[in-house]
Amino acid sequence: MLRTRVIPVLLLQNESLVKTARFGRYTYVGDPCNTVRIFNELEVDELCFLDITATREGRAPNLALLADIADECFMPLSYGGGIRTYEQAEAIFKIGIEKVVLNTAAVEVPGLVNRIADHFGSQAVVASIDVHRTSFGKARVRTRAGTTDAHKDPVEWARELEKLGAGEILLTSIDREGSWEGFDTELVKSVTSAVSVPVIAHGGGGSLAHVREVVHVGGASAVALGSMVVFQKRGMGVLVNFPSPAELVVTLAPEIPRHDA
Amino acid sequence: MSSSDPSIATSGLKVCSRCIYDSRVAAITFDAAGVCNYCKQIDSLVEEYGTGTARGEAVLEKIFLDIRREGTGRRYDCVVGVSGGTDSSYLVYLAKQHGLRPLAVHYDNTWNTAISTQNIFKVLKGLDVDLHTHVVDNKEADDIFRSFFLAGVAEIEASTDLALAETTYRAAAKYGIKYVLEGHSFVTEGITPVGRNYFDGKYIQAIHEKFGTRPMRTYPLMTFSRFLYWSCVARIRKIRPFWYMSYSKEAAREFLEREYKWQYYGGHHLENRMTAYFHSIYAPQKFNSDFRNNTLSALVRGGKMPREQALAEYAAPPHAEPELLSYFKKRLGLSDAEYDRVMREPPKSWHEYPTYKKRFERLRPVFGVLARRNLVPMSFYLKYCFPVKQS
Amino acid sequence: MITIVDYGMGNLGSILNMFKRIGAAAEITSDLERIDRASKLLLPGVGAFDGAMKRINSTGLRAILDRKALQERVPILGICLGMQLLTRGSEEGVEQGLGWIEADTLRFPALPGLKVPHMGWNVVTPARRHALIEGLPAESRFYFVHSYYVKLAREEDRLLRADYGLGFDAAIARDNIHGAQFHAEKSHRFGMRLLGNFAGL
Repeated sequence: MLRTRVIPVLLLQNESLVKTARFGRYTYVGDPCNTVRIFNELEVDELCFLDITATREGRAPNLALLADIADECFMPLSYGGGIRTYEQAEAIFKIGIEKVVLNTAAVEVPGLVNRIADHFGSQAVVASIDVHRTSFGKARVRTRAGTTDAHKDPVEWARELEKLGAGEILLTSIDREGSWEGFDTELVKSVTSAVSVPVIAHGGGGSLAHVREVVHVGGASAVALGSMVVFQKRGMGVLVNFPSPAELVVTLAPEIPRHDA
Repeated sequence: MSSSDPSIATSGLKVCSRCIYDSRVAAITFDAAGVCNYCKQIDSLVEEYGTGTARGEAVLEKIFLDIRREGTGRRYDCVVGVSGGTDSSYLVYLAKQHGLRPLAVHYDNTWNTAISTQNIFKVLKGLDVDLHTHVVDNKEADDIFRSFFLAGVAEIEASTDLALAETTYRAAAKYGIKYVLEGHSFVTEGITPVGRNYFDGKYIQAIHEKFGTRPMRTYPLMTFSRFLYWSCVARIRKIRPFWYMSYSKEAAREFLEREYKWQYYGGHHLENRMTAYFHSIYAPQKFNSDFRNNTLSALVRGGKMPREQALAEYAAPPHAEPELLSYFKKRLGLSDAEYDRVMREPPKSWHEYPTYKKRFERLRPVFGVLARRNLVPMSFYLKYCFPVKQS
Repeated sequence: MITIVDYGMGNLGSILNMFKRIGAAAEITSDLERIDRASKLLLPGVGAFDGAMKRINSTGLRAILDRKALQERVPILGICLGMQLLTRGSEEGVEQGLGWIEADTLRFPALPGLKVPHMGWNVVTPARRHALIEGLPAESRFYFVHSYYVKLAREEDRLLRADYGLGFDAAIARDNIHGAQFHAEKSHRFGMRLLGNFAGL
């Protein structure tokens, strides 16, 4: 039986780990390599690192740091942040990172998603969509760490990205991020109903009940956790942690139709 | 085969007849029966604090009463510094058991292992206690560690210990808390003789100024004035419950394992990679010193381990995690050549750098008074305020 | 010394990294002479079947690999696409496989609710005892990423079974030829155990 993936998402700012709330105010979390070691020791399924200032600052991915991180990682690793060229993606794969996460570049560099997926396979490309709801509740895609309106609807954009070859969609609710109040399950559902590639729900996860809901009601194939895995509790101190295997088993009960070969 | 003397019993060193401290330990003296002054010091502390007696426990009860009383109306009434280790984890339980409302405080030097973070998480979850953390910027932490390494002194871990002390004070001040509980036990740990190892804020500042490359911004430095402020102005008291009550580390461990699925990490302080490096590689290789004699001696003194077994364990080299060393070098940006070069350099001592030591000694009477009022730890007074014989 | 064959496809660095972490001597090389002298070979692979076979066939690597596998019979482990290459052929392409194991590589069927590729952690069950999987705990799981799966002709070649819509062979072995469909190098302690066992063969 395939386990629903629960993926810690770690945010990089320069060479440190931070955690944001609503893509704004940030808290310092710690050292990337050491944190990877801890997640290794905790045997998490997969890790995702996102450099949150790379695109805004016009910086390329920090390959040296990524190599250091990849060296420590004995589970699948994905990286996003400032990737704008095929060559950058290639260099990242060479380091030992399994997947690249494309957000702003997917919008601003037409053909990039397609080209990388074509050569390296769809499973190596995660298309990241950041969503903000207007005061009327309308969901809009934003790029450049949430600063720019991309003038796109998330559902349509997700469909488009699937066609371009993205193997997965990382769907992030900017409004819920760092809030501990639960995922935007409606948003997740609108996207999972529209595409057949796995959708990773991100932004707002504050408890295992939230995780269960976004998987069973929202149809998410995987769940990304931020605040929950770096803070002891809502509003309290930094403490890297991860739900135990037993807790995950209880929380997630994937259902795959069984057909004998 | 040990990297140092094969066995202290046969090496011609004089060994205490009661514990296993030998003549290499700084400022050690032996009486007619061959018992060392450190054993005597512990004996007198036990007498003074009434450790494990009705008298001691009554004093502790009164302290807990004061804590509860002074904390009414506040969210928390005491601070417990936590590391994920046995003592601090058990201390949180003890506080809750006595009706206190503790705030757990942790200083994260960015070298934690999963064992420590998980232990902290599980114990606090089980006891429903909140955690305040101060995380130092990883690059700053590494800069300070590198400075100490390049300085060639023993106290490569000093910055962490002092930072935790400062962090607990700051957290206490932030939440209006007047008491900090510490898990130190002179019975289970012994009082580390000052001689080889030393730390204070000025020492850290001096080493960092000389060898560091990044400004200290997120590192919580306890300067002398801050120390005086916390103890004399803010009047935050440091309480060490294990000085008053009987405490068995082994029993505590079993309890924590049972109740919270807490995990024992093996050895003293090995829940942090920098501490592990210090204990298993740095101190034995560069300084030929092995801190296991502190805990081993304490075990022997307390009748928990036969002396022969302690001596045998001490004679064997300390256990080191396989690529701990390569991780150390990678974090601190040291090439193999640079690392080897520095390790080969003759060790330096804290005596060669500016510290507050003389100031502490000059103010001994003041600190004596503060210690009696629990405004500074008694162990601080005993270790820092008396002149040290140079080793 | 484990010689990891670099024929231009696969995340070799991660595999080398895991061997390093477990203390096993390993090297990455595309040099035909080095491969010829190897005492143990690891055949990695990420990407398309035809692309891989074409590279192996066109560089003179094929002859050396055939000799090492079938005559010298050195221990060989194929990982991911590398395991699929050991079979007779794949539905993914038209090229013939190495054919060292009687098996075929087939595409996962389009079943309702079944997303392809099979991507994620999945549990495996042992089919028999074997040195390669010795010491793996009962509930072992590995990280899989693949759209095609291997189907053995002979049941006795099966080592580990997994389930994704249908049962398929997650690890196989016949004499000196071994295969693992999952990314052992990304399956932390489970992968370390398996690669460690391979190192010890």
